[in-house]
Amino acid sequence: MQTDTPVISCRNAWKLFGPNPRQYLSQMPDGQSYNDILADGYIAGVKDVSLDVGKGEMLVIMGLSGSGKSTLVRCFSRLHDITGGTIEIDGQDIMALPEKGLIELRRSKMGMVFQSFGLLPHRTVLENVAFPLEMRGQDSHKRRERAMEVIKLVGLDGREGYFPRELSGGQQQRVGIARSLVIEPDIWFLDEPFSALDPLIRREMQDEFLRLQEMLGKTIVFITHDFDEALRLADRIAIMKDGAIEQCDTPDQIVLNPKTPYVLKFTEDVEKALVVHASALAKPLNGEAVEGTPIDGGMTIRQLARTLVNDPRENLPVADSSGTVTGVMSRKAALDLLMGPA
Amino acid sequence: MKIRNLAAAAAFAISAGGAAFAAEDSSDPIVIPIHNWSSQIVMSHIVGNMFESMGNNVEYVTTDSQAVYESIRLGDVALELEVWEGAFGASFREALERGGLHDAGDHDAVTREDWWYPMWTKDACPGLPDWEALNDCAHLFATPETGDQGLFLDGPVDWLKHGKERAEALDLNYVVVNAGSAAALWAHIGAAEPDRTPVLVFNWTPNFAEAVWPGEFVEFPPWEEGCDTDPAVGPNPDALHDCGNPADGYLKKAAWDGMPDKWPNAYALLKEISFNNAQIAEMAKLVDIDDYDPEEAAEIWMEENEDVWRPWMEAVGS
Amino acid sequence: MFLQAILVTALILTAAKPILPDFLVRLPDVWIPPFADWLDVFFEFIRGDMDAGRWGLIYVTRWFADGPLEFMLGVTANILEGRHRWPYFENPLPWSSVAAVTVVLGYYLGGWRMALLAGGTMIWTALMGQWNITMQTVSVLLVAAPLGFAIGLVVGITAWKYRSFDNAIRPLLAVMQTLPFYTYLLPAVIFFKVGPTAGAIATTIYATPPMILMTTIGLRKVSPEVVEAGKMSGATRWQMLTKVFIPTARTEILVGVNQVIMLSLAMIVLTAFIGMPGLGATLLSSMNSFRLGRSLEIGITIVLLAIMLDQMSKAWVAKQPVHFERGTPWYLRHKHVVVALVLFSVFYVAAQFFDMLNDIGRRQSFSQAREIDALIKGFLALDVVKSITGTIRYVLNVWVLVPFRDALLWIPTSAFILFVVAFAYGVGGKRPALYALIFFSLVALSGWWDRSVITLYTVFAAVFLASLFGIPLGIVASRSERWSKRILMLCDTAQTFPSFVYLLPAIMLFGITDTTVVLSVVIYTMVPLTRYTIEGLRNVPPEMSEAADMSGATRWQKLTSVQLPLAVPTMAVGFNQAIMFAFFMVIIAAFIGTQDLGQELQRTLAGTDLGKNFVLGICVSLMALTFDMAILSWANRRKKALGL
Repeated sequence: MQTDTPVISCRNAWKLFGPNPRQYLSQMPDGQSYNDILADGYIAGVKDVSLDVGKGEMLVIMGLSGSGKSTLVRCFSRLHDITGGTIEIDGQDIMALPEKGLIELRRSKMGMVFQSFGLLPHRTVLENVAFPLEMRGQDSHKRRERAMEVIKLVGLDGREGYFPRELSGGQQQRVGIARSLVIEPDIWFLDEPFSALDPLIRREMQDEFLRLQEMLGKTIVFITHDFDEALRLADRIAIMKDGAIEQCDTPDQIVLNPKTPYVLKFTEDVEKALVVHASALAKPLNGEAVEGTPIDGGMTIRQLARTLVNDPRENLPVADSSGTVTGVMSRKAALDLLMGPA
Repeated sequence: MKIRNLAAAAAFAISAGGAAFAAEDSSDPIVIPIHNWSSQIVMSHIVGNMFESMGNNVEYVTTDSQAVYESIRLGDVALELEVWEGAFGASFREALERGGLHDAGDHDAVTREDWWYPMWTKDACPGLPDWEALNDCAHLFATPETGDQGLFLDGPVDWLKHGKERAEALDLNYVVVNAGSAAALWAHIGAAEPDRTPVLVFNWTPNFAEAVWPGEFVEFPPWEEGCDTDPAVGPNPDALHDCGNPADGYLKKAAWDGMPDKWPNAYALLKEISFNNAQIAEMAKLVDIDDYDPEEAAEIWMEENEDVWRPWMEAVGS
Repeated sequence: MFLQAILVTALILTAAKPILPDFLVRLPDVWIPPFADWLDVFFEFIRGDMDAGRWGLIYVTRWFADGPLEFMLGVTANILEGRHRWPYFENPLPWSSVAAVTVVLGYYLGGWRMALLAGGTMIWTALMGQWNITMQTVSVLLVAAPLGFAIGLVVGITAWKYRSFDNAIRPLLAVMQTLPFYTYLLPAVIFFKVGPTAGAIATTIYATPPMILMTTIGLRKVSPEVVEAGKMSGATRWQMLTKVFIPTARTEILVGVNQVIMLSLAMIVLTAFIGMPGLGATLLSSMNSFRLGRSLEIGITIVLLAIMLDQMSKAWVAKQPVHFERGTPWYLRHKHVVVALVLFSVFYVAAQFFDMLNDIGRRQSFSQAREIDALIKGFLALDVVKSITGTIRYVLNVWVLVPFRDALLWIPTSAFILFVVAFAYGVGGKRPALYALIFFSLVALSGWWDRSVITLYTVFAAVFLASLFGIPLGIVASRSERWSKRILMLCDTAQTFPSFVYLLPAIMLFGITDTTVVLSVVIYTMVPLTRYTIEGLRNVPPEMSEAADMSGATRWQKLTSVQLPLAVPTMAVGFNQAIMFAFFMVIIAAFIGTQDLGQELQRTLAGTDLGKNFVLGICVSLMALTFDMAILSWANRRKKALGL
């Protein structure tokens, strides 16, 4: 899934809010905590973040409100200018881009979906979706055609003449999604796209989103404050607190090995068997020979529950998607995870 | 539109009469100022119609009646048809000195402005119009606010009528209050009318009021030259303003210095024009009493008084 | 403590007047700097002199007045009332065609009710024989209002973009909004030539400030996500402004448009002083020949016009776009335009055959001016009316107003200033108190102290009397939804009614006295008091009223201990506006005859005394601003304290 050169590469990024942030940052001693900085009259929106996002990867940034997750994603798209560090998109330092280059980058590579949709109230669905194309100066016939394609993709055809206030919340967000996809971006930012929706619709939209992602395979940075949502969608999760990243790892690893007490608090109530995959519990073979049919490493422990109970073997071989056996999983460890330690 | 038709007909009549103008008038509109009293508006439209019938373009702008002289000087407006000696003499003379406009002749009409009362007042104070009767009747003109002194309602302060000074100079037992506008003067008379309460107000002629409320001017010691500048002139040797205003003030026309060159024919007509008191009162009456629009009033007046204005046109046409 | 100290000092100064050194009682004339002369020199310098060929602002303004402005005014005037200008249409548009289009526009914006209002207004105007003068007015407004809109939009955008520019113009706007309109008129005449040009410019300048404020507010309110969505769509700065910010701030900008329209209409009569033709000029000349009926009819036309435009523009604010089903043909998508065009043409053709549809002159009109005139005069002459008003006049003048005025005039200048400072400190705090000190000292230095005090006295008296009637009226009306609506509607109407119309009847009832002046200010001043009382009381959160009910409060207890305290900050805003309205109206009352600043201002209109005109205007403005700052800062603090 991941290739070698990251699409987004973020090194020691800082974003400070306050009267004179650059000067403050340059004179700041190392190891200042969030509260130390606050005491000096500055707010650390992003605090020394280093992070790579690979091509086709879905990174979910998780944190409570005020943790800096929205600020971070706005630094990636340079809606905010960072105070220190570097952010590169496809190897290009975005802070070095002139205004024109930045506009070009956004017109060709980036799409973004917003929590409260950010639709233009005076434009119809079609006009909203076609807006980025209009900014690029595409002619109206082509832009209509392309916009209609995307509108169909998100299941809104027939509604293209409606105005945002004539649509339900879920439908409005579909418009937001269609707009962000209309230019066929490589990178797709989603800032809590489903938080403003009620729970039933949210579930439906998540499914819809997974369907789209399967079809399109974009590089995605997805923001949420909902840990379950993060687990459900992510390839990797970055958990943020006070502007800094507490832990960035796969959902399995976060659930199995929370690195800080803060992360632990989130994982405590999670039904782990629903999250952890067999591959995450597998230990390397170390030359040992294993026998019998391997189990699919891509399945969760919960999905394997019946096998685990019925299969008498002590250790179960685990295979990857191509069928090659890559490791071995202890049945007891898996059963403990499923039912709690005996 | 009707006005235009009439004007066109007149133009045809004149050109058919073989009139040939000496020089061409400019096609720029002749801007005629109109003010906020009816006779002047109607007269302006009558003259404007005559200009139009000569083939000129005419435009009317509403202006302040004092500020208009500055506008004439600058050429923003071309002329003024009613220059009252008493009311606008000062502004006119001042503009004259600064240059840019000139006197374009007098109307036949004479103007007068002074202390005035409606006829019913005389019933209560038979000694009028002699000013010496004023002090005996002062109590008749008293109001709750003035105590036992009489009230004289003077014109607005900016008319500079020196009512206070005169009351002092002639030792009149009157409180002088300045109205804020001409309309306020009429309201004061109008309020007194139903009960025929005696009132003493500032008034002038010709205007519409004489047709509504017959009345008389108070006869003060007659105007002498220097009454307003030299204390020795007039009955009180120590005071200015101790005599009445001139009883036969002029009513002039004024024109922008550039007018004779730009519109020579219209200017020649302007010099010819001269209205008298009765004609001006008739113009005012058409609007103020008969309730016509000034444009309509001008049209009606011209229909009824062709013998008055036609000769002026012929005089410059031949 | 500080407050008491100022008050005691002020009292001592007052009591010690007989032994006070002269300069504390009134500033000696020799101390008064010749502000007017300085200003004149300044204005003379920036103005330039066309006769002498000295370059200055006047070259620019005269070019604008004679060129583009005159041209635009000429075009609208040619089309609407037949003035002989480009595009040289032979005849103005028939009234019936214009009326038809207005009705369709009304229907489009607000359904049948609005169509009826528009149609009624148009037909009334035509039948009363006022079509022509109305179009004279409208042809100027059609230039002045869009100009105000454009300037307001550009300045508003600049103020939103550059904080420092915003900070710089805020005080200027505050002064402009309190400056008496007479101060707009004279410079307009000098720089833009007497007549419709000056009228249009004065109207524009007067109507623009709220547009600037609303634009800035609207742009600031655009949600950050919409902004980010625009940026992420790759919009350039210009695209952001024209395609994201301005359309999204539509509501506020349209509210600004509504304000521009209403303020332009408020200037109809006032600009007649500087040559604006039409309704205002006719109203003034009707009054000058004492035709009350005619002036009332014109007043009604102005009110109808104002209500119509107000309602229409408000409907426009509220109107949200609605989609069409796919496959709707173009003539249905644009059915209003089609209907308007068809009706326009039909009436245009019909008017060529039926003169009544083209133009109803004064002679054919249905005006009842003379009958109304007789009716009004007859009513005013009734014995009952006379004896009642006679008593009011006597009591108010002799026992209340004149003694009050004399008392205020008696107070030494120094003590007076301190009293005002104490008020500002007690109500608004330190900053307003400091400004009060500076502002009133400047008024004293202007050399127009006595007239300023008389102006202030009229304002005080009027606001006091207006509170006596306006607040209880608001309280009673706020009890029911229906009455609230009715009274608010009445307030709207009263506010647009040209006050000149009732000045003459007022003079006939109360003479040329302070009572007349104060009462005519009261009529105008009551409007905001009543309006804000109703709004304050009706906006009390329902839970709080319910809580009071559940605690077993009687109506009276609920009113005095729950509703009024919560409504007071809003009512204070109304009180403040009442003071501002009073300052506005007291200047108009110069028409009756006063001894205040307004009378002197009216006097400057006839001349070229720009310096004096400004000094007088600024005096009014400084006094108004003093109270404005003190009361508003109190209201804001109070609102915060109540968590509203």
